[in-house]
Amino acid sequence: MNSLQPETILRLAPGCRLNESGSAEDLLLIPEGALRLKGPARTIVELCTGDRAVREIVEELQRRFGVENAERIEAETLALLARLRDRGALESI
Amino acid sequence: MKYQPRALIAEVTHRCPLHCVYCSNPLEMQRRSSEISTADWSSIFQQSGEMGTLQLHLTGGEPLARNDLTELVRAGRAARLYVNLITSAVGLDEACLDALVEAGLDHIQLSFQDIEEAPANEFAGTRSHALKLRMADMIRKRRIGFTLNMVVHRQNLTRLEQMIAFAEASGAQRVEIAHVQYYGWALRNQAALLPTREQVDRSIDIVEAARERLKGRLRIDFVLPDYYAKYPKPCMNGWGHQQMLIDPTGRVLPCHAAGVIPGLEFANAREHPLRWIWEESPAFNRFRDESWMPEPCRTCDRRERDFGGCRCQAFLLTGDATATDPVCSLAPKHDVVEQILRRTNGAKPDWVYRIDPV
Repeated sequence: MNSLQPETILRLAPGCRLNESGSAEDLLLIPEGALRLKGPARTIVELCTGDRAVREIVEELQRRFGVENAERIEAETLALLARLRDRGALESI
Repeated sequence: MKYQPRALIAEVTHRCPLHCVYCSNPLEMQRRSSEISTADWSSIFQQSGEMGTLQLHLTGGEPLARNDLTELVRAGRAARLYVNLITSAVGLDEACLDALVEAGLDHIQLSFQDIEEAPANEFAGTRSHALKLRMADMIRKRRIGFTLNMVVHRQNLTRLEQMIAFAEASGAQRVEIAHVQYYGWALRNQAALLPTREQVDRSIDIVEAARERLKGRLRIDFVLPDYYAKYPKPCMNGWGHQQMLIDPTGRVLPCHAAGVIPGLEFANAREHPLRWIWEESPAFNRFRDESWMPEPCRTCDRRERDFGGCRCQAFLLTGDATATDPVCSLAPKHDVVEQILRRTNGAKPDWVYRIDPV
C-alpha cells in the first residue's frame, strides 16, 4: 500500500457516506456497518471531496482550529486519513 | 432499553427465480398474496430509523421480484437508513439499476454460486450464471458500493482460488466468502454440502494468503462453518441484541431461522409498534439475557462473548432450543455434531450396541 502523499486527493469510496449531520452520533456508514467519528473527525472527512490535496485539507484545518496547534493537527489528520484509506472508506483519485 | 437495533433485515418477498440448495429461507415460504404493502414497509423503515437502526438490508427471496423495489429504497433513505440490496441480479437491467441508484441505493451485494457455469447453475437450480456475469459488469460501471458474495461448500471449494481471482477482477470493493450455515434448505442438503475438515483448513490458508496479497485492493470477509469450531458463533451478536428480521408478511423475528423454534409467537409489525416488538414482546426477550442458560453456559467465561451460541441450531440439532449450541465442544450434546463430522470425514460411525434386557 502506498503511503499518503501531500498531493494525494481523497474522496469517500463507493458505498461509504457520512450520516446526516445533527444525528445523535457522527458516523461513517460503510458496507460492513458504521465507523464512529470522534472529535473533529467528521469535519476532516467532510473535506475529502475529491478536489483537495491532503496538504490543502491540513492547511484548511490549521486555519480553522488554530495555527498554534499546526503540528498536532497535521499528525492527527494524516493518521486518520491513512486509517480510513486503509480501511477502504476513502479512495485516492 | 439496553439493546438498540442496528440493522434491519427486510425479507421483502420469498419469491425468487433461483432455487439454491442452501437457501436460508424457511422451508415453508410466504405467498405473494400475503406480502405486505409498500406503505407497510415505509412505516416499518420510519419506525426503525427512529429507534436508531443504521442499516437496511433488502433481501428475499429476490427483492427484484417486487415491482416497488425502487420505492422501498427511497423509503429506506427517507428513514435515514443505509440501504443495501442483497440480490441475485436476476430481473435487473440498466434502467432498473439507474433508478435504484437514483433512489439512493448505497450498496449492492451480488451472490454467485460458483465460478464455473455448469455447477453454478446446478446449485442455483436454474440457468442464472451467465446473466450474473453480465450484471456484475453493469454494476461495476456505476459509482455504488459493490460486494460479491461467494457461497462455498463441499462441492465447490476446489475452485476457491479461481473465485477470489474473479472477485479481484470484478470491480467489487469487497468479497464475502461464506461457508454454508446449516439452516433452512442447507440443513436439508447438509450431507452433500458440509465440507471435510481438510477442505475447511485449506480454505482458511487460501483466504489468509489472498487477504495478504490483496490488502488495500479487495477486502475479504470470511465466514467459517461452525460445525468445525471449538466454540459456537455469537449468533446475531446475541438474540435481540442488534438485529431484527421482518418476513414478507410483516412478522418480526430476531433472525432468519427463529421461526423453527416451537412455542414462540412472533408479533407482526402491522399489528404492533416496532418499538414494542423489540423492547417488550416475549419472543424478543426469550433468550435476550442469561436467565435461560443451562450449564455449562451459565457459569462459562465465554457466555458474554458467544451467548451460548445459536438457539435455532440448538433446536434443529437437539430438539431443545434452550440447550447449549451443540457445536460447542463443551456442550452435553456435542456428540450430535461429532457424529455428523465423522460421517462427513469418512470415518466409520460409532456402533450402537444392543443392550441386553435384565
